[in-house]
Amino acid sequence: MITPALTDIAFTDVMLQPLGIFILALATAFLIPLFDRFYRGSATFIFLAALVGLILIAGLNLLAVIDGAPAIAIETAGIKPPFSINLRFGLFEGGFVLAINTVALLAAWHCLPTLRQHASALLLYLILVMGIDGTVMTRDLFNLFIFIEITSIAVYALIAMQRTGNALVAGFKYIMATSLASAFFLLGTIFIYYQTGTLNIDDIITHRALIQGPVGLIASLFLLTSLVIELKPYPANGWGLDVYETANTGIASLISVAVSAGVFFALYKLLPLLQDYLPSLTIIAGFTFLFSNIIALKQDNSRRLLGYSSIGQMALLTLALTLLIQQGAESQLPLIVGGLFINHLFAKAGLFWLAGIVTGSVNGRSIHQWSAIAGQPALIILFGLLISALIGLPPFPGFWAKWQLMMLLTDHQLFSWMVLILLGSLLEAGYLFRWFSYARQSAAQDTESEASKKPDPRKPAVVTAGLMQKAPIAIAGLLLLSTGYGMAQNLHLASPNLFLPLVAGFAMWLLDGIHGRLKDVPMLVAVALGGYLLTHDLDGINRMFSYLLLGGGLLMSFAAMYRNDDRRGFYPLLTVLLLSLAALLRAQDSLEFFFSWELMTLSSYLLVSLGRKAVKPALTYLLFSLGSAYFILAGFALAFAATGSQLLSDLGNSGASTDIIFVLLATGFLIKMGAFGVHIWLPGAYAESDDDFSAILSAVVSKAGVFGLLIIAAHLGVHAEIGLDPAYVLAWVGILTATFGALMAVFQEDIKRLLAYSSMGQLGYIVTGVALMSHLGWVAAMYMTVNHFLYKGILFLSVAGIILRSGERLMYRMGGLIKNMPFTFVFSMIAIIAMSGVPPLTGFGGKWMLFNALMDKGWYWITAMAFFSSAVAFLYMYRLLHTVFLGQRKLEHATLREAPITLLIPQMLLIIGIFVISANPKLLIDMLSVAIDPWLANTLVWDGYTLQGPYGYWNAPSIMLIVAGVWMVPLILLLLFSMTMKIQKVEQFNIVFAAERPHRPEQTHFAYHFFAHYDRAIGFVVRPRATAFWNGTVEWLHTLASALRIFYNGNGQTYALLIIMYLVAILFFNGGLAS
Amino acid sequence: MIYQSLGEWFDKIGNFSLTLLIVTVYGLLMGAFIERIIAKVQGRIGIPYKQPFINVLKNIFKRTAISHGIMFYLGPVFRIAGGIGTLAFIPVIFGSETFSNFSTAGDLFLVIYFMFFGQLGMALGAGESGHPYSAIGVARGLSQMTAYEVPFALAVVAIVLQYGTLSINDIVAAQQGGWQHWTMVTNWPATLAAMLAFLGMTGYSPFDIFLAPQEIPIGPPTEFHSAYLGLLQLNRALFGATKLILFMNLFFGGATGWPELMLKTWLIYMVAIVVGVAFPRYRVDQGIRFFFKLPTLIGIMSIIYVQMVLTA
Repeated sequence: MITPALTDIAFTDVMLQPLGIFILALATAFLIPLFDRFYRGSATFIFLAALVGLILIAGLNLLAVIDGAPAIAIETAGIKPPFSINLRFGLFEGGFVLAINTVALLAAWHCLPTLRQHASALLLYLILVMGIDGTVMTRDLFNLFIFIEITSIAVYALIAMQRTGNALVAGFKYIMATSLASAFFLLGTIFIYYQTGTLNIDDIITHRALIQGPVGLIASLFLLTSLVIELKPYPANGWGLDVYETANTGIASLISVAVSAGVFFALYKLLPLLQDYLPSLTIIAGFTFLFSNIIALKQDNSRRLLGYSSIGQMALLTLALTLLIQQGAESQLPLIVGGLFINHLFAKAGLFWLAGIVTGSVNGRSIHQWSAIAGQPALIILFGLLISALIGLPPFPGFWAKWQLMMLLTDHQLFSWMVLILLGSLLEAGYLFRWFSYARQSAAQDTESEASKKPDPRKPAVVTAGLMQKAPIAIAGLLLLSTGYGMAQNLHLASPNLFLPLVAGFAMWLLDGIHGRLKDVPMLVAVALGGYLLTHDLDGINRMFSYLLLGGGLLMSFAAMYRNDDRRGFYPLLTVLLLSLAALLRAQDSLEFFFSWELMTLSSYLLVSLGRKAVKPALTYLLFSLGSAYFILAGFALAFAATGSQLLSDLGNSGASTDIIFVLLATGFLIKMGAFGVHIWLPGAYAESDDDFSAILSAVVSKAGVFGLLIIAAHLGVHAEIGLDPAYVLAWVGILTATFGALMAVFQEDIKRLLAYSSMGQLGYIVTGVALMSHLGWVAAMYMTVNHFLYKGILFLSVAGIILRSGERLMYRMGGLIKNMPFTFVFSMIAIIAMSGVPPLTGFGGKWMLFNALMDKGWYWITAMAFFSSAVAFLYMYRLLHTVFLGQRKLEHATLREAPITLLIPQMLLIIGIFVISANPKLLIDMLSVAIDPWLANTLVWDGYTLQGPYGYWNAPSIMLIVAGVWMVPLILLLLFSMTMKIQKVEQFNIVFAAERPHRPEQTHFAYHFFAHYDRAIGFVVRPRATAFWNGTVEWLHTLASALRIFYNGNGQTYALLIIMYLVAILFFNGGLAS
Repeated sequence: MIYQSLGEWFDKIGNFSLTLLIVTVYGLLMGAFIERIIAKVQGRIGIPYKQPFINVLKNIFKRTAISHGIMFYLGPVFRIAGGIGTLAFIPVIFGSETFSNFSTAGDLFLVIYFMFFGQLGMALGAGESGHPYSAIGVARGLSQMTAYEVPFALAVVAIVLQYGTLSINDIVAAQQGGWQHWTMVTNWPATLAAMLAFLGMTGYSPFDIFLAPQEIPIGPPTEFHSAYLGLLQLNRALFGATKLILFMNLFFGGATGWPELMLKTWLIYMVAIVVGVAFPRYRVDQGIRFFFKLPTLIGIMSIIYVQMVLTA
C-alpha cells in the first residue's frame, strides 16, 4: 500500500523533474477546455498557474545544476532511445528553459486579454511553450523534429486565431516556410539514421564519422538549411517579417525571442555534426545581422522594425556562437552567447509588449505616432531602458557580452568580424534611437517635424496604460538590470565604483517628485560625496581632472537652481553623468573606462534630449558618441590582443600595433570633442540643450575627451616612444579644428551655436597641445583646458541668463543689454578677454606656452595656423559682445532685469579663478607640471616668476602690474579732463547719424550678418561640407536599404522559392569553400 | 616680479615716461610731416607742424561732452592703454638700459598679443555708442586684421626661427654689425611679407576702408569727441610710432640712438605713404583676399627660406 503522503512525495518528485514540464503542460492543456466549460475564469487561472509551474520546475532544477548536481538525463518509459523521449537538462538547457518560460509567462500576462477569449488559445500557448522547451531539452533527432513541428503548428494556429486578413496571409506564409524547413529537417534526419543507425544526438555525434559521402553531405545540408531557415536568414526571411508585423504582440514576442531561442539551441546542439558548414554559417549570420540592420533604417512600421531587429539579434547570436566554436572558445559561451541571449530575450520581448500597448491605443503602427507616449514618463523610461539594453549599453548583459566578444575577436585576429559587428550595432542604435526620438517628441514638436507634413485631422492620441499592462515590461527591465549586475559580479567587476553613479542616480530619481530648485541641493550633496569617494585617492593627471570635472561640475550644477520648474529627470541624470565622469577618472582597466564612458554617453544624451527642441540634435549626438565609443572599444580590443591585459597602464606594451591603437582611440576621443569633420553633432547638441546644461556640456563634459586623449597619449605615445607620426596628424587635426571652429563661429546668428563652434575651436588648440607630446605642450594643453572651463563656463551661464530674460537666442534680436545686465556684461567681457589670449588675462599664458612648444617641436606651419585661427576668433568674440550687449537696445527690452543671482554666483567664482591664475599662473602651472612630470621630463625653467620657454620668456605678475598701471594712467587723465567738461548722459539714438534721425533699434543696430564682407571674401571655405558628407552617407545607406529590400515582395511563392534557392546556394557556396 | 625693490620700479617708470614722451611727440610731429607730404602730392600746402598738438589740446579742453555709457567712456582709455602698454614691452634703443622699457616682462609674443588689447577695448567702447557705422568699421577692421595677420605671423615665425629667440632685444642684437646683418637683407622674404602686412596694419590706402577717412564720419571713432577724441589722437601718434619701432627692431636692425630710430621709422612709414598715395582703395573683401594670396605665399616662402638656406 502506498500511503497518501508517500504518493504526494512521489508526485512532487516526478513533477519537479524536467519531465514535469511536459506533464504539466500537457495535463493543463487537456484540462483547460474542461475548466472553460465549467467557468471561463478558472481556465485562465490554471493556465497562468501552469506557466508559473513551468518556471518553478525549470528554476529549481537549474539551481540544483548550478549547485553542482550532474546534468539530468531522462529516458521515458524505461525504454532506450530512439523510442523514448530523451531529454537532457544541463546548465545551458536549464538557463534557456528558465528564460524562455519566464518570458512566456510575461508574454502571456501581456496578451492575456486576447488569449483568454478562446480557451483553445490558452491551450495552444501552453503547447507552444512546451514545444520550445522540448526543442531545447531533447537529445533525440526525431523528437527534435516533432518539437519543432509542434512549435510551428502552435504558432500558426495562434496567428490564425486573429482572423484578420493580414494575419491569415502571414500565418499561411509562416506555416509554408516552416513546413519546408521541417521537411528538410525530416529528410536530413532520415538520411542520418540511414547512415548512423541511431537517432540519439549524442550517439550520432560519437559516430559522426559515419556521416559521409553524398548521402552524408545531403543529410547535414538539409539539417543545417532547415535550422538556418527557421532562424530567418537574409534574404529568405520575408515570411518571418510578415509574422512579426501582423501577429499579436504577445505572440510575436514569443516568436521573436522564444521560438528563435529554441531553434538556436537546436542549432547549437547539432553544430558538432555541421563542422564543415561553420564558415558558411558565420557568413550567413554576419550578413543577416548587417543587412537586417541596414534595411531597418528605412523602416517606419514599429512592428516590422522590431522584426528586423529580432532577426539581426538572432543572427548576432549565431555569429557569436559559430565564431566562438571555431576559435575553440567554448568556455566563453555562457558569458557571450548567454549574455547576448538574455539581453535579446527580455529587451526584445519588452519592446514588442510596449509596441502592443502603443499600437493598441494609437490607430497605426508608424514610429512617428509614438509621440503618443511622450507624456508618459514610466513608458518612456522603460522604452529607453529596453533600447539601451538592446544596443548593449551598460549596465545590461549585452554590454558585458559585447565587450567580451570584441576582446575575443581581436585576440583571434578576426578584425573584419569586429568591424562588421560594430557597424551593425551602430546602425541598430541608429534606428532604435531614432524611434526613441519620436517617442520623446511631444505632439507640439511633432507638428514641426517632417513626420506630420500631412496633418492628422484626429486629435493626437494619448496612450493609456494601466499598471497591469506596464508590469510585464517593467519586470523584463528589472530582470535585465539584475542579470547585468549578476554578470558583472561573475566577471568580478561589480565594484561599487562602477555602479555608484547608477545607484546615486536612482536615489535622486526617488527624490524627483520634490518641486523645483530644491532638488539641486541633494544632487550637489550626492555628487560631492560620491565624487569624493571615487576620486579622493587619485593622483597625477587624474587628480587634476577630478578637480576640474567634479569641482567644475558642481559649480555649474549650482547654477541649475536658476530654474524653478520641475525638470523631471534632469537631476537624476546629471548625478549619473557627473559621477560617471568621476568613475571614468578612477578606471584602472579598459573595461572600467569603457563602462563609465558609455554611461557618460548615455546620460549626457538623455540630458541633451531634455532640451525643448533637442530631440533631433540629441540623436545625432548619440550616434556620433556611440561611433566614438565603438572606435574606443576597437582600440581597447586591439590593445588587449596585443598585450593580453586590460590594464590601462599596460597600453604602452602594445608593440607593433601601438600606432593603430593610438589612431583608433584618438579617433574616438576626437569625435567626442567634435574635431574637424566629425563636428556636426556639436552645434546642435550644444545649442539645443537646456541652457545650463550647455554650460556643463562645454565646460565640463568636453574635458572627458581631453582626459581620454591625454591618458592614451601618456600610455601609448610616451611609454611606447613611437607614434610620432600619428601625433603629427593629430596636431593638424587639432589646428584645423581650431581654425574651422573659429571660422564657423564667425558666421552664426544664434548665440549658443556661436559658443558651440567656439568650444569646438578652442578644444582644437588643446588637441594640438596634447599632440605635441612634450612637457611644455602638455602643460599648455592642460592649462588651456582649465582656462576653457573657466571662460566657457562663464559665457554659457551668461548666455543662460540672457536667454532667460530676453527669450531670444538670435543675437541680432538683442542689443544694448549692457544697460540692463551690467554684471553679465562685465563677466562676459572678462571671459572673452581670457579666451582671446590678450594679456594680461589667462588666455595669453596658454597661447604663449603652446606657441613656444610648437616652435620648439619645429611645427612652424601649425604655429602660423594657430596665429591665424586666434585672430579669426576675435571676430566672433567681438560680435558676441557687441550684438548682444552694445549697440542699440530693442524697445521691448528696456525693462529686462539682471540675470538671477544663482547664475551670477558661479560666474563670479570663475572670474575670481581667472584673475588668480592671471596674476600668478605659477600656482596652476606647478600643479599641472607635477601631474605631468611622471610622464615627461620637466622642461620648465623658472626664474623667479619668469617662465623661460625654449624661445621666449613670460613674467605674468609683472605684466599684470604693468598693464594695470598703463590702464590706470589714461583713466586718471580722462577723469581729470572730465572735471573741466560738462558730460551729459544722452538717451538712445542720440548719435551723429548722417543727417538722419533713427527711431527704431531694428534699423540702427548693426548686427545681422555682421561679417558679410568676410563671408564674401573667404566664406566659401566654411560651406557645410562635412554636414553634406554625413547627410550623403545617410542617404546612401537608405538607398542601399531600399535595394536590399528587393526580395520582400510579400508573395508567398517567392518566399518559398527563396527558401529552396537558399538551400542550393548553401550547397554551392559550401562546396566552393570546401574546395 | 621683474624688479625686486620699489625703487627699481620707480626708476623704470621714470625712464619709461621719458620714452613715452619722446615717442608721443615724435609720433605727433611725424603725423604732421606725413600729412604735409600727402598734401604736396595732392598739390596742397598742408598743415603746420603744430597742428596735431593743437588738435589734441583743443579736444582735451573742450567744455562739453556727452557719454553713451561706461564702456563708451572707457573705450579711449583701453585704446591708449593698449598703445602705452605695447610701447612698454618693446626695447626702444638697443644697448640702452634707460630706453629698454619693461621688455624683461615679456617677449615679442607678448607685444603682438598686447596690440589687440587697445583694439578690443576701443571696439567695445565704440560699440556702446550705438552708432551703426562704428560697428561696421569695427567689423571691417577686424576682418582685415585676420587677413594681414597671416603674412605677418608667417614672417614672425620665420624670424623667430632664424634667430632662435622671441626676445626682441636678442633679435636686434643678432642684427648688429652693419646693414648686411639686418633681417631685411638676411631674410628678405620675411621682411617683404611683413611689410605687405604692414600696409594693412597702418590703415592707409588701399586698406583704409574700415576708417574711410575722407567720407562721412565712419569707423570706430565716429561717436568720440572732446577729451575722448584727444586721447584717441594721442594714441594714434603713439601707437603708430610704436608699430614702426617694432618693425624697425624686427626687420631693420633696430636703433642705437634716437636719430637712427627716427630716420629708420620715418623711412618705414614712407613705404605705407607711397603705396597709399599711389593706389586706390580696396573693398574690404578684396583687401582680405589680397592678403591671402601673394603676401601669404611670400610668408610661406620666408619660412622655407629659413629652413632651406639659413639654418640648413
